[in-house]
Amino acid sequence: MKASKLNKQMLVAPYIYISPYFILFFVFSLYPILYSIYISLTDWNGSGEKLFIGFENYIQLFSDNDFWLSLWNSTLIFLMYVPIMLFVGLILASMLNSNWMVGKGFFRMALFVPNFVSVVAVSFVFILLLNTQDGLVNSVLRSIGLIDNPIPWLESPWWARFSVAMMVLYRWLGYNMLLLLTGLQNISKDLYEAAYVDGATKIKSFFFITIPLVKKMLLFCTVLSTIGTFSLFTEPFILTQGGPLNSTLTPVLMLYRESFQNFNFGYASSIAVCFFILMMVISLLQMRIFDDKE
Amino acid sequence: MEKTLKLKAAGTSGSKHIWSSSLAFVLMAVVSLFTLFPLFWLFSSSLKDISEIFVNPPIWIPSTLHWENFRELFVERKFGIITWNSFLLSTTSTLIALIFCSLAGFAFAKYKFKGKQFLFVLVLASLMIPHEATMVPLFSIYKNMHLIDNIWGVILPDLANAFGIFFMRQYCMSLPDEMMEAARIDGCNEFKIFRKIVLPNLRSGFAGLGIILFVKQWNNFLWPSVILRSQENMTLSVALKALEDSNNTPYHLIMAGSVISVLPLLIIVLIFQKQLIAGMIDGAIKG
Repeated sequence: MKASKLNKQMLVAPYIYISPYFILFFVFSLYPILYSIYISLTDWNGSGEKLFIGFENYIQLFSDNDFWLSLWNSTLIFLMYVPIMLFVGLILASMLNSNWMVGKGFFRMALFVPNFVSVVAVSFVFILLLNTQDGLVNSVLRSIGLIDNPIPWLESPWWARFSVAMMVLYRWLGYNMLLLLTGLQNISKDLYEAAYVDGATKIKSFFFITIPLVKKMLLFCTVLSTIGTFSLFTEPFILTQGGPLNSTLTPVLMLYRESFQNFNFGYASSIAVCFFILMMVISLLQMRIFDDKE
Repeated sequence: MEKTLKLKAAGTSGSKHIWSSSLAFVLMAVVSLFTLFPLFWLFSSSLKDISEIFVNPPIWIPSTLHWENFRELFVERKFGIITWNSFLLSTTSTLIALIFCSLAGFAFAKYKFKGKQFLFVLVLASLMIPHEATMVPLFSIYKNMHLIDNIWGVILPDLANAFGIFFMRQYCMSLPDEMMEAARIDGCNEFKIFRKIVLPNLRSGFAGLGIILFVKQWNNFLWPSVILRSQENMTLSVALKALEDSNNTPYHLIMAGSVISVLPLLIIVLIFQKQLIAGMIDGAIKG
């Protein structure tokens, strides 16, 4: 009698345990995303009647230069920081992985700090540092004679993209370095030893042992950075508001503008749906990459 | 042991090695300088007068420390309640998420039930729905549920945390089955097993996931800035942005407010750095 009661409990318990997640998931994630698809087929300002207009929003979106520009900006920002981040990250990680490095704990933390410090706070510090007239960066560059005229860090399209990219680099270098470090720790030290005995220099072993063996981790970091770059919001929102001339407009920033500043909820939803599809494709790609190798 | 000895022996021979390792040290120090400098500038600027913020040549450390920036924030700009909101929101959402994630993680790790495979794939798939894409409909749902300008509006969507379920599932899988069997034979009911046997053994998992969720929620910006409207309900990130003014932005106050937002986290993370780093790496790789 008692045993069967316990048995029954064992059958029911897991469903009770997973139900909070699924209830919340349905209400706050699945239903909204489906609703989003519906809203994207309407003309709606958020409070009045929804006017069904079919694929009108999508047609408009695909001929909207700002939309393509936002994707292009993200791509440019990605190209500006990801190669540097992975290369420098890997060099720093292999230093932290060596036996002879001193102060490992301190350096690891120092590099990781920007990752958990509030992005809003850091963005405002960057605004101060990068101010064209009286920012610290320009005055230091000028006083050591590197530049004659101040660099318009946040005021010209290319420099603004570069500044956003550098801020993203600032935030994510340490995190990626830690991921690469875990990759390195899986490489047997014997390999380096053998290479050393064979007379390979450190630089040679870096290019011929380290890089090939952390390829998978590098790829993983690249995928994470792709997702991260296309979802950028806070950095450009605070540093440049997407400007100048929309040069730092990102898909999420455009979504925010259309919805919560212009109240084009229908149009904004078509951006949201495209963004969702883009993220889904990248995630599926990521899963495939990792299934293949394992 | 032998290996490290050999490497050390190989390492100390030759002055070439000393050169390259000092070079490495210098490079590391330079990069650390770059990562830490903005924080130094943040702390220094938080104690400046507004007239000292944009000046040439720059003021590295203000000659008089303007602590009144902080007083102004707390007395005139409601930063007391705002800081409390950030704390309350991050703590509440972390604690509840930990419970929900460990419950579901435990179920997926240790129970056999119908549809488990499918439901787990659904959890996996839910990771692909970016929160940004649900903002518009969620906003109109919130209007009906009276969740606009309410911190529960920030907390609720984050409680359905697929990443956390993965994370806790990993920890639950390492618990020995015998422990639960023994408790069942002793007549423990299922919930008691969870509470008395599973929960106490998940401590390191809770620390790891808890610190990640807390940090994330503390710094959360986009969604809170959409729905938290009145000053009494804002969190620190939202309030910092709200200090901005198109004509006359009080950057000294923004810097002081940023210190309030950065400092507690810095302390917490220095205490829990092992758990945070281990958790983030585990989470990224296994998730």
